[in-house]
Amino acid sequence: MAQLVLSNVYKRYDDGPKGLFRKRKVHDYAVNNLSFTCEDGEFIGILGPSGCGKSTTLRMIAGLEEITEGDMYIGDIRINELPPKDRNIGLAFEDYALYPPLSVYENLAFNMRAKKIPEDKIQEAVSYVAPLLKVDDLLDMKPPALSGGQKQRVNIARAIVRRPGLLLLDEPLSHLDGKMRQTLRQEIKRMHHEIKCTTIIVTHDQMEAMSLADRIVIMKDGVLQQMGTPLEVYDDPANEFVAGFIGEPPMNLLPATIVGAGDGFEFAFEGSPLRVAVPEKYNPVVENNMQVTLGVRPVDVLIQPGTEGSGAVPVAVYENLGDERRISVRIGDTLLNTTTAEDVSYHHGQIVRLSFHAERTHLFDPKTGNRIRSNVEWR
Amino acid sequence: MAKIELDGVTKRYGKNTALDNVSLTVEDNEFLVLFGPAGAGKTTLLKTIAGVEFPQKGLVKIGGEIVNHVEPMHRNVSMVFENYALYPHMSVYDNIASPMRSKLYKKDEAYIRETVERVTKMMKIDHLWERKPSQLSNGQRQRVAIGRCLVREPNVFLMDEPLAHLDAKLRHFMRSELKEMQSSFNTTTIYVTHDYMEAMSLADRIAVLNHGKIEQLGTSQEMYYTPCNEFVATLFGEPEINLFPAEVVAENGRLYLSALGQEGLPLEEDVCQALVHREDRSYDVGIRGNDVRFSFEHRPGWMAGTVYANEPIGNKVIMTVDVEGTHIRLVAPNDTRAGLDQPVYLSLNMKNAILFDSVDKSYVIRSDAQRFTQTAAAAGR
Repeated sequence: MAQLVLSNVYKRYDDGPKGLFRKRKVHDYAVNNLSFTCEDGEFIGILGPSGCGKSTTLRMIAGLEEITEGDMYIGDIRINELPPKDRNIGLAFEDYALYPPLSVYENLAFNMRAKKIPEDKIQEAVSYVAPLLKVDDLLDMKPPALSGGQKQRVNIARAIVRRPGLLLLDEPLSHLDGKMRQTLRQEIKRMHHEIKCTTIIVTHDQMEAMSLADRIVIMKDGVLQQMGTPLEVYDDPANEFVAGFIGEPPMNLLPATIVGAGDGFEFAFEGSPLRVAVPEKYNPVVENNMQVTLGVRPVDVLIQPGTEGSGAVPVAVYENLGDERRISVRIGDTLLNTTTAEDVSYHHGQIVRLSFHAERTHLFDPKTGNRIRSNVEWR
Repeated sequence: MAKIELDGVTKRYGKNTALDNVSLTVEDNEFLVLFGPAGAGKTTLLKTIAGVEFPQKGLVKIGGEIVNHVEPMHRNVSMVFENYALYPHMSVYDNIASPMRSKLYKKDEAYIRETVERVTKMMKIDHLWERKPSQLSNGQRQRVAIGRCLVREPNVFLMDEPLAHLDAKLRHFMRSELKEMQSSFNTTTIYVTHDYMEAMSLADRIAVLNHGKIEQLGTSQEMYYTPCNEFVATLFGEPEINLFPAEVVAENGRLYLSALGQEGLPLEEDVCQALVHREDRSYDVGIRGNDVRFSFEHRPGWMAGTVYANEPIGNKVIMTVDVEGTHIRLVAPNDTRAGLDQPVYLSLNMKNAILFDSVDKSYVIRSDAQRFTQTAAAAGR
């Protein structure tokens, strides 16, 4: 059990030409000034697209990569120079890397046998861990006879059998097919609930991070974008990247121009006569002719039958997906998606009235992608 | 434009039977989706129509004409590939014009220009003529690829998982884009996918394939509301439909269900009427996650369980509840918080329950089933 602290951690793979005058560029770093704290017993998800530095971060925590700059602590101990075997870490990668000639039991016992731990202690540890990951029926089988999902269960069981202080999982579910992935996801969560081991999972799948982690670390190009609970990163994204990355179906991001003055502002969209009122809370921070990116989730777009008013648009696409209905309208070059669980029916070309759930719209600076917050809510 | 008929088509690869006596009629101008798990025979069926694969048995007809021995190039079918296969060194105009410049379909340049104009306008890419594929967005590339197929006015338009290689987010947008264009195809289209949302969204009718056989053929409404068996029921909807065994009990002249340790689950009047005449007393009940309500406080008549998993996925939470050892999945609001193993109480909306045979797992009945088949008939085909 341990708290993990990353403090201003940098990683550069190629040291490059050495010298005092070398300028550092942001993209020289695979991981760039990363700081976060993972509390004792917490489940953290590191999430980002490929190449964002998430696996590099995990490998530095595991001790498989050197840390270029910055400090890392487990509890009070600085671990930068500590060899991997002394870090008390359990590791499970996407590939299972089980020993094929050994039985599942022997695979689980392997490390402890190497450390000359007495056999009764080993048996005790294995019989505690095996049911947690539902591998207790497989102990006599050999890896080639197991399915992908079973192999990954054994792999994770092996990572926790010595009860490490920190469990690191690198994309453990990405090899598995949909249903197996869902089941194992639930079981990993339940296993964590049982042993309450500080756990870090690296994934590119936002749904996996959302459903497993207590808090999510979102990275892009080696830089931390936001850290928060699943609900925080969903409801209150720090920037346009996070807004677009979290959520399925994804958030609508529309380029818009603010028009109006005083107390009444409207969003105008290029190539569309549509006008939508700017929520009042933004009045202090917007001005006439300002360019913004408007972010609104499909569930927060409201569509009603009706032809009057400035919010009238034709339906471009109506999809009945059983669980929900999706309606899209074209605004300039972009399709704006909406979702509703209500049993409504529209047809292509039908005129509808569109409005946004005002409190749940977000504005972003189109140049930097940063969130434009209304002063009322924040600071 | 053509009607496509398959009559008893069987295709074997060595000992494996990829298509097992498949008969299917695709109406002129229909958008038919072939849907099923990997290895079901979807792509083989598509290739059989294209003429790339030859069936050992059965007839393939396009527009009433038997084409078993017609070469692919003479069948006038058009195929859209997963990676779009645009010529990278050609402009959008030249890419779209390329089929009309081929030896077989050679047309004069004036005609080509007219056709490209018409198709690009329809696809809303007429302002992109000069661009190279690398300068296009994914959505635009898809439009060019589809436009290129349309200029030839093929008999049949074949699409093999055109969105499969895209990530989940992009796929969602591209599906809507495709759906928007769909009405302008005016061609019989056969579309292969393993994504149920694509199938439901795009299809006039869906053919569900499994082990080389058609399990069910019908509209997306029929697939979702009146699946022909438990296998088809599990393919549509997220989270997967809940299935559990139940017994029919008669009490005071009415029928009730007992399931999951709960007695007296009400059945709708029309379902009762139908079940009275059946000897069978045990059924499997299918109920979707949207039809399960939950409460953390005890309520009379609700069944008790414990939270097995609680997974926030953004706009909703998928909660899995352990009831007497059976896992029931339900959809909860996105701010629902629940501790694992916490007690929770469930109520099932039995109006939307689907009953299946407990032995052969085939569809028996659901309440008001005609509603879903009737709307399908009213919708056209």
